Amino acid sequence: MTNSPKTAGRINRLLAMLPWVIANPGASVDEVCERFGYTRTDLIKDLNTVFVCGLPGYGPGDLMDASIDDDEVVVELAEYFARPLRLTAPEALGILASAKAVQSSGSGGEALDRAILKLESTLLPNGADAVVVDLPEPSMVADLREAVAEGYVVRIDHTSIASGERKVREIEPWSVFTTLGNWYVSGHCRTADAERVFRIDRIRTTEVTGERFDAKPASRQAAVRYTPSDDDVHAVIRLDDAARWVAEYYPVEVLDDGADGMTIRMSVGDSAVAARLLLRLGGSAELVDGVEVRDSTADLRARILTRYAGNARND
Amino acid sequence: MMQKVIERILNLLAYLLTVERPVTADEIRHTVAGYDRHTDTAFHRTFERDKDLLRRLGIPIEREATDVFEVEFGYVVHDDRYALDDPGLTDEERTALALAVQAVGFGGRPAGQEALMKLGGAVGSLGGTELGADLGEQAETVAGAFAAISERRTLSFGYRGRERIVRPYGLVHRRGRWYLVAADVGSNDVKVYRLDRADAVSAGDRSGAFTIPKGFDPADAVLHHPWDAGRDVTIASVVFDEEVAWIAERELGQNAVIKRRSDGSIVTNVELSAPEAFLGWLIGFEDQAEIVEPPGLRDRFCTLVGGA
Repeated sequence: MTNSPKTAGRINRLLAMLPWVIANPGASVDEVCERFGYTRTDLIKDLNTVFVCGLPGYGPGDLMDASIDDDEVVVELAEYFARPLRLTAPEALGILASAKAVQSSGSGGEALDRAILKLESTLLPNGADAVVVDLPEPSMVADLREAVAEGYVVRIDHTSIASGERKVREIEPWSVFTTLGNWYVSGHCRTADAERVFRIDRIRTTEVTGERFDAKPASRQAAVRYTPSDDDVHAVIRLDDAARWVAEYYPVEVLDDGADGMTIRMSVGDSAVAARLLLRLGGSAELVDGVEVRDSTADLRARILTRYAGNARND
Repeated sequence: MMQKVIERILNLLAYLLTVERPVTADEIRHTVAGYDRHTDTAFHRTFERDKDLLRRLGIPIEREATDVFEVEFGYVVHDDRYALDDPGLTDEERTALALAVQAVGFGGRPAGQEALMKLGGAVGSLGGTELGADLGEQAETVAGAFAAISERRTLSFGYRGRERIVRPYGLVHRRGRWYLVAADVGSNDVKVYRLDRADAVSAGDRSGAFTIPKGFDPADAVLHHPWDAGRDVTIASVVFDEEVAWIAERELGQNAVIKRRSDGSIVTNVELSAPEAFLGWLIGFEDQAEIVEPPGLRDRFCTLVGGA
């Protein structure tokens, strides 16, 4: 049995609340609750805990004094808890990187800039600019975000990465988010009549219509991941050493892994994805099995070489 | 149950913060309220758990000799390592940080809420803009590197099958990945490491082991495009057709565009030093892009596409 994270969370909050109350005598119950995310009941519970703790001897003069008097939070005889705790490395990184992510996206403000400078000056040597978060926000994000907030239907001109298919779609946007370096909008696609996630850098233009859609479903986390489907195309590919990275980068099944290379089975929603990969890998990969991918690769190779067959167009 | 644990831990911490000398486990057991009814085994188990919990909260419980003869060891919390180095935030700044913490996660979990409390909580409505950014799953490795940077300790880790020992200068999150920028302890070369490829990250014993060169900016060390990786720079002229021109322009930047043609296509100049990475990227545009110059790169692309 271990002490639960819940216990740690409660102690962390208690050890943060005490110094603040000691430094700000006369603070009201509401103010303390708001600042530290307490309900009134939970605050009273924590104050009652403090009230029965203190120094060895544990007599009246040894225990801390904590109570609510005329709606003010009173803590006395607790000088040893008057200083807030230092931040752990994950905590310090978490708050600094979060702040820098927002700053980099352009949606911060002057107060955030000042807060970052203050944090850096206490957390990093010589206040160095040692943590950089590069998260530029595409210009479309602001419009999409507003459409999410207001519940507007948006028309997007979208080109699929996998198939290259271009389509104007009407979507009911639920959320805008960024993960693994890309920005996405999730929502209900009216054109496909299904829930979809679109990469924002593959949306050419957006048009926010005046039409409002009914409330989005209760907040659900949109996930960006490969979801297998019955329509998937499969290919077995032999990779030599130089192409091993493919097995880390794509969701594949490793069929054989030897000293001089590996054999993988790849499943993709569109054979063009595998075709582009095979061309890119050149001599370091070989298609062992998969008729559709073989045809698709041959087709792509022919199309590109046809374009390059003439002289370079440079007018 | 939880109530008893919290009381015991507050009592333990109050004692350690006021006793001002290393105290043995046995002393703690007989002095601090909450341990008195335990059997030997139960006490040791409980005490280990409690120490562990306090350490996770950031309380530096250290084990030191109780006297100069180093016969007995006890536990001590040093004042200077316990307390926050207060950055002196205003409430407005705290609120800005709270909004940021709310908007950003690591591997789907928020990070920084505990820090925010320690920094004095936050006031004001938290219904701000949702950024919905995720900075990835490697929170532990990245935090380990961050700790080493902030205390200027050397860092060792396994990377591409070799053990590295470096002086960590900075962290950069770009294109969805965390990179460590660091100087090799042996050669002093500054290199960039992908932290998702590093394992068993551990910091050296000595803090303040080096200084970061003045004006060093880790962002400069990390490439913007995978084809920036080599030394000899070639400028390639590449045409992108109307259907994909906007995608290329977003990825290469507006400055790369040197001509916009009436049919909607664009001519770009791309500086590249790692041609292989660039050609791989270009295949993504299928037959809607074409290398115009230099001829050598054009031939190389055709050879790659044509197959071995």
